[in-house]
Amino acid sequence: MLSIENLQATVDGKAILKGLNLEVKAGEVHAIMGPNGSGKSTLGHVLAGRPGYEVTGGAVRFNGEDLLQMDTEERAREGLFLAFQYPVEIPGVSNMEFLKAAVDAVRAQRGEEPADSVSFLKQARAICKQVDLDQSFLRRGVNEGFSGGEKKRNELMQMMMLEPRLAILDETDSGLDIDALQVVANGVNALRNPEHAIVLVTHYQRLLDHIEPDFVHVLAEGRIVKSGDKSLALELEAKGYSWLEEEVA
Amino acid sequence: MAQQQLDHLIKSEYAAGFTTDIESDTLPPGLDEEVVAFISAKKNEPDWLRDWRLKAYRGWRKMAEPAWAHVRYPKIDFDAVSYYSSPKAMADRPKSLDEVDPELLATYEKLGIPLHEQEALAGVAVDAVFDSVSVATTFRHKLAEAGVIFCPISEAVQEYPELVQKYLGSVVPQHDNFYAALNSAVFSDGSFVYIPKGVRCPMELSTYFRINEAKTGQFERTLIIADEGSHVSYLEGCTAPMRDENQLHAAVVELVALDNAEIKYSTVQNWYPGDAEGKGGIYNFVTKRGVAHHNAHISWTQVETGSAVTWKYPSVILRGDNSIGEFYSVALTNNYQQADTGTKMIHIGKNTRSTIISKGISAGRSSNAYRGLVRMSPRSTGSRNYTQCDSLLIGDRCGAHTYPYIESRNPSAVVEHEATTSKVSDDQLYLCQQRGIDTEKAVSMIVNGFCKEVFKELPMEFAVEAGKLLEVSLEGSVG
Amino acid sequence: MADYIEQALQRPPANAPRWLDLFHQQGRRSCREKALPTGKTEDWKYTSLRALGQRDYAGQPAPVAASGDLQRHYRIADFSSHTLVFVNGHFSPALSAGSLPAGVELVRFGEADAGQAERIQNWLGKVASREQSVFTALNESGLADGIYLRVTKNTRLETPIQVIWLTTPQSEAFTVSQRLLLVMEPGSDATVMEYFTSDAAEQNSFTNGITELVLEQNARLRHYRLHAEQEQALHIGGVHASLERDANLDSFHLAVGGTLKRIDITVNHNGPGAHCNLQGVYLLRNRQHVDYHTCIEHRVPRCTSDEVFRGIIGDAARAVFNGRIHIHPDAQKTLAQLSNKNLLTSDAAEVDTKPELEIYADDVQCAHGATVAQLDETSLHYLRTRGIAADEAKVMLSFGFINELLNRIPDAAVAAHLRPMLSQFFSGEQHFVR
Repeated sequence: MLSIENLQATVDGKAILKGLNLEVKAGEVHAIMGPNGSGKSTLGHVLAGRPGYEVTGGAVRFNGEDLLQMDTEERAREGLFLAFQYPVEIPGVSNMEFLKAAVDAVRAQRGEEPADSVSFLKQARAICKQVDLDQSFLRRGVNEGFSGGEKKRNELMQMMMLEPRLAILDETDSGLDIDALQVVANGVNALRNPEHAIVLVTHYQRLLDHIEPDFVHVLAEGRIVKSGDKSLALELEAKGYSWLEEEVA
Repeated sequence: MAQQQLDHLIKSEYAAGFTTDIESDTLPPGLDEEVVAFISAKKNEPDWLRDWRLKAYRGWRKMAEPAWAHVRYPKIDFDAVSYYSSPKAMADRPKSLDEVDPELLATYEKLGIPLHEQEALAGVAVDAVFDSVSVATTFRHKLAEAGVIFCPISEAVQEYPELVQKYLGSVVPQHDNFYAALNSAVFSDGSFVYIPKGVRCPMELSTYFRINEAKTGQFERTLIIADEGSHVSYLEGCTAPMRDENQLHAAVVELVALDNAEIKYSTVQNWYPGDAEGKGGIYNFVTKRGVAHHNAHISWTQVETGSAVTWKYPSVILRGDNSIGEFYSVALTNNYQQADTGTKMIHIGKNTRSTIISKGISAGRSSNAYRGLVRMSPRSTGSRNYTQCDSLLIGDRCGAHTYPYIESRNPSAVVEHEATTSKVSDDQLYLCQQRGIDTEKAVSMIVNGFCKEVFKELPMEFAVEAGKLLEVSLEGSVG
Repeated sequence: MADYIEQALQRPPANAPRWLDLFHQQGRRSCREKALPTGKTEDWKYTSLRALGQRDYAGQPAPVAASGDLQRHYRIADFSSHTLVFVNGHFSPALSAGSLPAGVELVRFGEADAGQAERIQNWLGKVASREQSVFTALNESGLADGIYLRVTKNTRLETPIQVIWLTTPQSEAFTVSQRLLLVMEPGSDATVMEYFTSDAAEQNSFTNGITELVLEQNARLRHYRLHAEQEQALHIGGVHASLERDANLDSFHLAVGGTLKRIDITVNHNGPGAHCNLQGVYLLRNRQHVDYHTCIEHRVPRCTSDEVFRGIIGDAARAVFNGRIHIHPDAQKTLAQLSNKNLLTSDAAEVDTKPELEIYADDVQCAHGATVAQLDETSLHYLRTRGIAADEAKVMLSFGFINELLNRIPDAAVAAHLRPMLSQFFSGEQHFVR
């Protein structure tokens, strides 16, 4: 589904990704771990097409298409979803209006009619409940005045509404208490099936207690330096990252 | 606030208030074409400059004094002003510092700018303007080695006429405004600086101005040209002796920063502000402006504590792409002082940046206004301005005003303006007092904290002076 | 411009009640004594009055046979109100509806009896002084009719009062001098909406509309002044309010652009503890020009004011905003803030904004801010990562920028009326948002 080959990228002229390779197949859950500043968040933003993140080399294919040639919104419509670590607040634009526009854009891509308002609202309410967000959030501005945890749940809610083929969760677990973490895990596990793939970007192992990954990768200095199964995450938890850095050096 | 403490502090005297007793060669009051021609002839100027002055004079005659500023003062009788004064002892220019009138040097000592000491210790070259004629210039040789020209503008007219002719009036045209026109007609002297391509001026350049003669206006003209890729930091200090009647000061400063050049212009202005009843003091009507070409950087930093009336807007025309303009200002008014000051940032080039940090402190019965213009022209794609104007009020009989004009004609340009007001609160003072800090010290600490962002832009020796200056100027404002 | 004023002064209003004669004379005199605004007049620095000279606007409006069809230009769904409709300055009984509750006196100047005329004369011109502006003086000189509304002591009006000022073109260009005088007695509470609108045809009217609001002790008023006329309808006017002790004014303003719209809003805090909330939205396109001049006069201690204006300017339009906060000596413990934000959406558009603080008291907290910018890049990106096309995202964000203020409107029906109207302004006209 996602094939990253020797990806290099700069932010503000500074090289962050320095030849990254990654294969993600449908049905798989990948965890990308690594120390601060290793390029974890950059990877998500480069894949989502954030302005200012410049690809300087390599290739990314998504469902066989050249991802890097697509506009940001095209990528989203093709089924790539990024849950932001720091979602922006957009006062004045209601969550409802925003979600409807997004869902309809994705539906249009699939050749479907816009969702009818009644069933859309019904679904939105149901998902609100699933992620433990009060329904009043639907009427409020996008992320406006939300707490950190509420913002994360709102990201999750969007993910569940849009049902992306590939969901990249950028440190969605950071700053969450154990209940919220469980909500996130439930949401992600609900999406887990043979058609969908999930990439979890995280600094800590604890999210992986709730979502069992098929593969764990360690990102350091803009490259994946080690890959393994879930036991690698446990090893990292026990030993930290420094041994790996030494090993690579 | 305790009234007796206030009274006590108000009575503290103007520290720089003394007059120097030297015979002057002064023109009788009044202004006409003959006077303009006389000034030009006296300075042995070429015809083009005399005609330039006359053109300025003719235009000035048709212009009206601006009335939009938030200041009030009795109408100035421009025919009661004397437009030329030069110290008599200067008929023969001194060849070196040793030849300078000892009393003059003593004056500078009192002002705390001992030339010899500065030569030796601070490494600062000083072009001292005593009334209207430059009397001493130091470090000429050292600067000459670097190719830097730093001399009185009257001398530059003789020695570098092509540079002067090319740039004089190129930033502030003769008829730019009423006071600039007057200055163009009668300017006495001032500094001229030229930094050649790629040269980083080896030391900070400094000028101290003084208005000494009674009833003489001071009309300096300063022109600084930083050629491509060069860098210069220029310090201007001003003080004037105490007098009962108001004295007029209408200077023009032009800065030209060519591609990739940087000019940093710092001013500490403590002209005599008048006495506690608002009698006397300087009328300071100054036009300061710089043009920044491609990638050039012009920075104005000013600490203004003096003058009875101030009308001054150091500005930057951001002509070249990626050019930068900055304005950092502390303006303090006390007693009956009035200030209407601020800046203009005219964005013309693409991706230009400007920053305005203005701190106004009003005390006594003074009035302190910030007036600024930020203009984004249609070409200024991707440009940005950030403006922050803070006012601090000390006492309930003063005024603090903010008039920012924002004109934007480019959708990709971003302009942000914020302004706040605050006071030195009784709670703050109480806390300080409870910790054993006396009121005066406490106010000074609070004010210094308020001005910190601007002070950090000043060269070190100025920053210390500026802090002291605020302390002295605020004396009497709080009890 | 000078021609227009002279012409207008030479045509005294027809059918005006006799007791207005004195006002006509005073208005005329004051008008003639005043210098006309030019580009050098600080208050008119960015607004040209040239449009007033393009046609002979000095004509008198003729009565119009009212048709129910006009209702679609102002009717607000689910907003039951007592409605007064004026068409080209003439009161239209046929279109007006609703019954007044007890405790409210509502009379047109043209129909005032002797006692009412006296009460009107007590207040008329007291808050909006003819000395303030040549156009206020002109309004006074041309008054034929107007509305006097008095909400008596401690009366709480459940039903809003709506005044519709509608214009429709007539053969000769004309001026409507309109006046609303509202007196809220102590402890009273009401909602009043002024709605300036027109039919869809190209207009040839100049409306000079002055509103005076008097809020006595503890009075509360929710006020709207909406300008949604067709583009050619000119308007110069304003709202002038006086707030006594603990009075509370919540005033919402909207201007959908026109060739020339200049609206002055003055709020005088005359009694301690008074509060005002001032909000405004302006949307401009084509070559439209809107100029809002607001001024909050904090004359006494312990008053508060909170002002937010936002605008979006497209095409070759020009918006002007001048927001002044004036803290008088001794108006201690004042809290005042103002925010003005603007979005420019086209290369040829222009905004000139000037928030002003003039402060003569030290124990106050005042702040103002102004920004001119384009849409936030981060927000735009966020929407795009959810599959929303860039153009649509821009429309959503532009509308959201305005919607933030609509969300604060106290009457849900009014907000619901404005939302589609404004949202059409963005999405219906793709050229508006690049």
